[in-house]
Amino acid sequence: MIEAFRSLFAPPRHFILIVAALWIGLTLAEKRSEKHGVSKEQLNNVSFYSIIGYVIGGRVLFALANLSSFAQSPFSIFSPNPDLFDPTGALVAGVLVGTIYGQRQKLQLRGTLDALTPIFASLAIGLALAHLAAGTAFGSPTTLPWGIHLWNATRHPSQIYELIASLLIFGLIWFYRPDPPPGILFLDFIALTAGSRLLLEAFRGDSTLVLGEFRVAQIAAWGILLMALLASESIRQREKAN
Amino acid sequence: MSTTQRRIIYSIILLLGFAWIFVSADRSGTSTAGQIPAPQAGFLAPDFELKTPDGETIRLSDLRGQAVLVNLWATWCPPCRAEMPAIEKIYNEYKEAGLVVLAVNMTYQDDPFEVVPFVEDHELTFPILLDETGDVGSAYQLRSLPSSFFIDRDGLINEVIVGGPMAEALLRTRVEEILK
Repeated sequence: MIEAFRSLFAPPRHFILIVAALWIGLTLAEKRSEKHGVSKEQLNNVSFYSIIGYVIGGRVLFALANLSSFAQSPFSIFSPNPDLFDPTGALVAGVLVGTIYGQRQKLQLRGTLDALTPIFASLAIGLALAHLAAGTAFGSPTTLPWGIHLWNATRHPSQIYELIASLLIFGLIWFYRPDPPPGILFLDFIALTAGSRLLLEAFRGDSTLVLGEFRVAQIAAWGILLMALLASESIRQREKAN
Repeated sequence: MSTTQRRIIYSIILLLGFAWIFVSADRSGTSTAGQIPAPQAGFLAPDFELKTPDGETIRLSDLRGQAVLVNLWATWCPPCRAEMPAIEKIYNEYKEAGLVVLAVNMTYQDDPFEVVPFVEDHELTFPILLDETGDVGSAYQLRSLPSSFFIDRDGLINEVIVGGPMAEALLRTRVEEILK
């Protein structure tokens, strides 16, 4: 079944999964955006501008980082090839464009982030499925009976672990009943995502290491988890004081 | 939940997380992709030996020490055809620096009589190899054409590009990476 799925969504078709997750997340987020003080139109606009910023920013920053290559073939900047892309730069550009739009529309930051959280949670599911389809983010070798054969070894099904974690996180975010102060839903999502990465990175076979043995992603996830919990606590205390 | 209870839980989570970083540290080196051959970035490029239309035999592992672009293609595949001029241009630019291009034709799913005319029409000067049995397509787990594997001087796959046509700038950035 996994093989059939991998064949169906083999790269570059795995991008379909991310686009579908984005669309589902946006559709679901629309249903609850008013609750967070963000109209459907504002939610769609902030998402649209952020995506445009992400796509254009990713391509432009890649071109700037490889200026000499593009100088010799400037029309490559319009190539439909998705590999001409800087994902980190794209993320920064997307956040920047979304922030500028939000400020112009005088949107409350914490409420807007809460309204966008279902999109992020849905994207995490899409990303896990895309990893499974492409065979990226693969696990370390294992002898456990649920290991999957990938890249010429039996490995931890790290993409399936990631998928289960992202589905659970989505469920927790979507079915979260209490009405917390603005910003908590988003911070809970960040904390849960960082926590799951901290846990599951241990089963990855492609970790970048620091000091010879420690996984960079785990250290980063622990730092993000710490910041999310501190920010969450700070918001709760301020709400209590008011 | 009271503030104190919440803070205790947060502290326990952070302590457990910190301990987990040490417990799950990669002392055995399993997190490096390893030296086993697999068609994925970070792995050794699966070795193969194929013949050119002229009957010359080329083995990938004999090219260790040089940067190699393995391009899997077929004459019936429009993006494969479209990217060949860019590959030829980049090959001519970088061959002196140590770039080798191996264009592996998926002959087992192509018309073998189309290959040589195609190469002549496009004036391709890099080696064309014929995968008549599908062994290379299978070893490289071919799912889409074209597929390109950028292999560094140590024989490790640095980047895999599935689909095309590859833009000239993309080829140039990836080739410069494997020539380092």
